[in-house]
Amino acid sequence: MKLFSFRALADVAWGVALAASCGIALAQEEPKVLNVYNWSDYIAEDTLKNFEKETGIKVRYDNFDSNEILHAKLVAGKTGYDIVVPSSNWAKIQIDGGLLAKLDKALIPNLANVDAETAGQIAKLDPGNQHLVVWLWGYTTVGINVDKVKAALGSMPMPDNAWDLVFKPEYISKMKSCGVSFLDSPSEIFPAALHYLGKPAFSKQTSDYQEASRMLQAIRPYVTLFSSSGYINDMANGSICLALGWSGDISIARQRAIDGKTGNKIEVLIPKTGGILFFDTMAIPVDAPHPKNAHAFINYILKPEVHASLTNKVFYANPNAQSTKFVKKEVAENPTVFLSAENKKKMIAPDAVNNDIRRLSTRLYTQFKTGL
Amino acid sequence: MSESSSGTAASAPAAAGGANKTAADARFLRIENLVKEFDSVVAVDKVSIDIRKGEIFALLGSSGCGKSTLLRMLAGFETPTSGRILLDGRDIAQIPPYERPINMMFQSYALFPHLSVWDNVAFGLRRAGLPKDQVADQVEKMLGLVQLKQFAKRKPHQLSGGQQQRVALARSLAKRPQLLLLDEPLGALDKKLRERTQLELVGIIESVGVTCVMVTHDQEEAMTMASRIAIMSEGRILQIGAPAEIYETPNCRFVADFIGNVNLFKGKVVEDAADHVIVDTPECRHYVGHGITGTEGMEVSVAIRPEKIRITRERPGGAHDGFNCVEAEVADLAYLGSYTIYHLKLATGLLVKASIASVERLPDWQPTWGDKVFASWDEYAMVVLTQ
Amino acid sequence: MNKLLARLMPNNPGRAVVIGVPYLWLVLFFLLPFLIVLKISVSEMNVGQPPFKPLTEMVDNFLNIRVYLGNFISLFDVANDDLYARTYLSSLKYAAWTTIFCLVIGFPFAYFMARARPTIRPALLMLVMMPFWTSFLLRVYAWKAILTTNGVFNQILIGLGIIGEPLHMLHTPFSLMIGMVYVYLPFMILPLYANLVKLDGRLLEAAADLGATPWQRFWLVTVPLSKSGIIAGSMLVFIPCVGEFVIPELLGGPETLMIGRVLWDELFSNNDWPRAAAVAVVTILLIIVPLAIFNKYQAESQGERT
Repeated sequence: MKLFSFRALADVAWGVALAASCGIALAQEEPKVLNVYNWSDYIAEDTLKNFEKETGIKVRYDNFDSNEILHAKLVAGKTGYDIVVPSSNWAKIQIDGGLLAKLDKALIPNLANVDAETAGQIAKLDPGNQHLVVWLWGYTTVGINVDKVKAALGSMPMPDNAWDLVFKPEYISKMKSCGVSFLDSPSEIFPAALHYLGKPAFSKQTSDYQEASRMLQAIRPYVTLFSSSGYINDMANGSICLALGWSGDISIARQRAIDGKTGNKIEVLIPKTGGILFFDTMAIPVDAPHPKNAHAFINYILKPEVHASLTNKVFYANPNAQSTKFVKKEVAENPTVFLSAENKKKMIAPDAVNNDIRRLSTRLYTQFKTGL
Repeated sequence: MSESSSGTAASAPAAAGGANKTAADARFLRIENLVKEFDSVVAVDKVSIDIRKGEIFALLGSSGCGKSTLLRMLAGFETPTSGRILLDGRDIAQIPPYERPINMMFQSYALFPHLSVWDNVAFGLRRAGLPKDQVADQVEKMLGLVQLKQFAKRKPHQLSGGQQQRVALARSLAKRPQLLLLDEPLGALDKKLRERTQLELVGIIESVGVTCVMVTHDQEEAMTMASRIAIMSEGRILQIGAPAEIYETPNCRFVADFIGNVNLFKGKVVEDAADHVIVDTPECRHYVGHGITGTEGMEVSVAIRPEKIRITRERPGGAHDGFNCVEAEVADLAYLGSYTIYHLKLATGLLVKASIASVERLPDWQPTWGDKVFASWDEYAMVVLTQ
Repeated sequence: MNKLLARLMPNNPGRAVVIGVPYLWLVLFFLLPFLIVLKISVSEMNVGQPPFKPLTEMVDNFLNIRVYLGNFISLFDVANDDLYARTYLSSLKYAAWTTIFCLVIGFPFAYFMARARPTIRPALLMLVMMPFWTSFLLRVYAWKAILTTNGVFNQILIGLGIIGEPLHMLHTPFSLMIGMVYVYLPFMILPLYANLVKLDGRLLEAAADLGATPWQRFWLVTVPLSKSGIIAGSMLVFIPCVGEFVIPELLGGPETLMIGRVLWDELFSNNDWPRAAAVAVVTILLIIVPLAIFNKYQAESQGERT
């Protein structure tokens, strides 16, 4: 079909140019719209409503449940999102790949509220904190349904190191009957497994991953569910008794079990050797259509009372030094949310891995899940 | 009517042979009071026929007369509502089609499009569980019979209509059935080919010696191929007889009208003698040279075939002067080569058809449009129809 | 454009347009996307945007074209990692089983529909198509609810006293096959029905007349004559099944590896677009082979029908 002529192509090009020029024209006066892409179960009911009330900006809010998916969207480009919330180690790859925009700090006066310790953690991956502002932070760890796990263990005492529950066949094999859930992504499972083996959690050594893989194969028969979001409800309603999950999610499950009067006692464990820290950070994609509104949103979240409301709802710690007085007493006193200095020191800081390691861990993870 | 005369010739030996056979052979296929109803519509109504061993028997009628239903009951595709079908003394009404010693050649042949000619012919033999070499022998024999050996590997769609017809024949004969059924055997062929194929088909069937029942709506086909014909209408048999018998002495107006062309004069019997009758019609007075079963004053029709009418310029004289002659005007004529058809208009307005064979055309005079002529016929040319 | 068309087909430009539209459609929505995928599959991976490196580059007035075949090589490098080979095989296996089950279930279905009284055929057709009125995703989710451990099916079985303990059915090859067969069955039934409804009843009578029992008539006449319908239905089921992602994801277990999942992993876990594109290209090639056979058969049977 050569007949599909250049004139038609020219028409298409002209249309594209026209549309683009409109985009440029509109950029000067951003429409009152904001598109946010965030983790599931990660916001308070009134956060967006209040933001809309205060600024008049309409928010469209979408969810994801793994860094891989967010990353895939950013790489594909033209996501249409103005705010994305990658974990800091993934954000580093995205910054290096030129996918995230530099922040205009003049538009975010509330940046002053961020505590120095968290800012310092982020600066390791984002020098000068030029791209990222922490939304909330937490750690990957082990959660249990206290009664069911005790019943399953029988005469066996609880292990000293909570990671034993998920990685040691003697323990996890007992748990199969009451349900075991693992986070469903290689970038969550391998750091925990490597750490348990005494390797660097974000190791660059292929052999370390092979070793972790062998350990995972041994416990594969006892994992009954791979889930990164659904496991919250499964824990709350008692169909899962042991989870390798995120600290706040397990706390949400605990709260839902209490609210729903299910009688399930859910508990977040802090492993003796520490959990794997993560910092979920707000960032603006380079091609965000409404960057100004995005800055306004970041500034809004950094308000002490807003940041506190997030923590109150989802049981993840916030980096906001001024928010403490707005955090509910029971949340503030929960040692699994705001970690003690001693526990904090045990935690493993996140780091980025290169492509080869990512491919390897994906492959080994597939092997782990499917046996292939 | 060359076709009709050749039909009689072909059927003559079969009829003659039939006369010498035993009574059992005369009733080789016996159909007794056969009835078929579809949702209270009677398709076949108390039909009884005896068919002789080795004869070709035609069921002739227009579409919807029940002839196909009758044939399908013989094949076993329809179950009779009542009545019996006896083949060689055995009641076959309840035997499924695939166990009957009867094969059918279907209308437009129903050849298996996915099988080669060879496999089509072998289909029935294989179902009978014959050993391979016997199947091969018989298929070869059948293909030889229909002269299609060189086409054995072809698929049906690669053959002409006539060749397909022969494959269908070979296939239906391959199992050496006791009874062969032909459903409109030549209906799918064009006219020229049909005439040629008719006698060829008869030749093959007679060489095999199988008893055959065919269904057709084409009277020429029936007359050419069959030794006897049954005329069917509305599920009933009207007349059974040899082609000549049916043509020359139809027993009712329907048969007379259905077979060939006929001129009908309606009138009353005025004299009823043992050796003749006289019938008065508004057009003329008819002297019929044979007796009828009737009474004086009876309403009848006098039937005269067009080819039995003579056309003359003068009133002809003769033994029965004043009878069997009308004055007419030539309303129309059609020259058809071997004969010419004249449409003659009588004074009463009745149109009479006359066909004059070309050999009888007078060299000096041919009637033409508007001519006043006399149409006449002799005393044996007529049939008196009482129904 | 019209002038060009007129020059090509001076007699009837309208005809050219009518023929041109489907071609244009195919080029725009099939060939062009495929060429883009093909191009990506021979590129190198890039972190950033776009996630693959360009094939051409101007260096010192040289136009360098770099065609990277590593993606394809690693797909077939069975000695190093047989994941891809095994996944392709497993996808083909599940697709084949789905096709077989659909055929076995769909054939009698289509057969009796085609043999039903003509007045009730439209209603039967409607019943076959009715599931399409509901969202595909909802229907697959409904199977989750039916097959789950405390789901409807187990409760019925326990209620009837057939089993004491609930069966583990969800996330097994069993639930996967149920979902796949359920979703794709209409795609088998419809072409089969269209074919069987045209089957000349006299051929079956002819077979019966020649001594074939009902069973023989089915195998020797009905089946061979519905071959094109069987092939069409099988293609319609097999081809999409090979690349199916949603049903295995929702109903399959972690061990039911299918090519859709591997493709997903390449795209989302590894962000390796070139490798994902290579996986897709090989999948298309795997599907084109049976399609070509089908096409050849179609062309042959076209002759048989006329």
